[in-house]
Amino acid sequence: MISVTRDDFDVNAVIDRVRKPDMGALVTFLGVVRDDGGIEEMELEAYEEVAKKEFTTIRDEAFAKYPIAAVEIIHRIGRLRVGENILLIVVGAGHRKEAFDACEYILERIKQSVPIWKKEIGKEGERWVPGEFSGGDA
Amino acid sequence: MQVRVRAFARLREAIGGDLMLEVPTGTTMSRLLAAVGETSEQAKEALFEENGELRGYVILMHNGRRVRRSEAATLTLADGDEVALFPPVAGG
Repeated sequence: MISVTRDDFDVNAVIDRVRKPDMGALVTFLGVVRDDGGIEEMELEAYEEVAKKEFTTIRDEAFAKYPIAAVEIIHRIGRLRVGENILLIVVGAGHRKEAFDACEYILERIKQSVPIWKKEIGKEGERWVPGEFSGGDA
Repeated sequence: MQVRVRAFARLREAIGGDLMLEVPTGTTMSRLLAAVGETSEQAKEALFEENGELRGYVILMHNGRRVRRSEAATLTLADGDEVALFPPVAGG
């Protein structure tokens, strides 16, 4: 399942939804709001329709590249406090190697191309987190 | 014809939110960007360099698909199209 949501998620519930008897590995990535020195909250904004399509494309790429059995991606938007969950990726596979590799691939592709932005909000003021990939001519 | 312009992150703040622009039939992406720049000083400054070039960080989408800036001058828009403008993404 792919979801862009304002709601929090229960990591164990998501893992339970994904797990099947033939999966020996369930690799989970959980991204949370980090206190980067004076940050209290983060505002996450998405171009939702396109973000969902992009997540689907990335999931399909991961299935094509790695022998994995399941992918679940949940990305939160809205205002989140330090320590709150932002992103959950769960990859289920027969063995650990492909599950780790696919999970990392999915995360790096999300950072490259899914239209989501973060604004850090702290006592000192606000700042948009700069993207790592300019992609102006992508 | 009408074209919907959506802007995100710092570009949304500069442009002031989504816009519905009435533009002549056959308007190109470049011409639409100029029209967005004409809506306010802030929008113009966020989108364009002083020499009128589109700023390097501006990413363009047309109906949910990325558009190369080299295509902007020739890409013709249609009534009801959606154009999106945003800076480099920073999710995850």
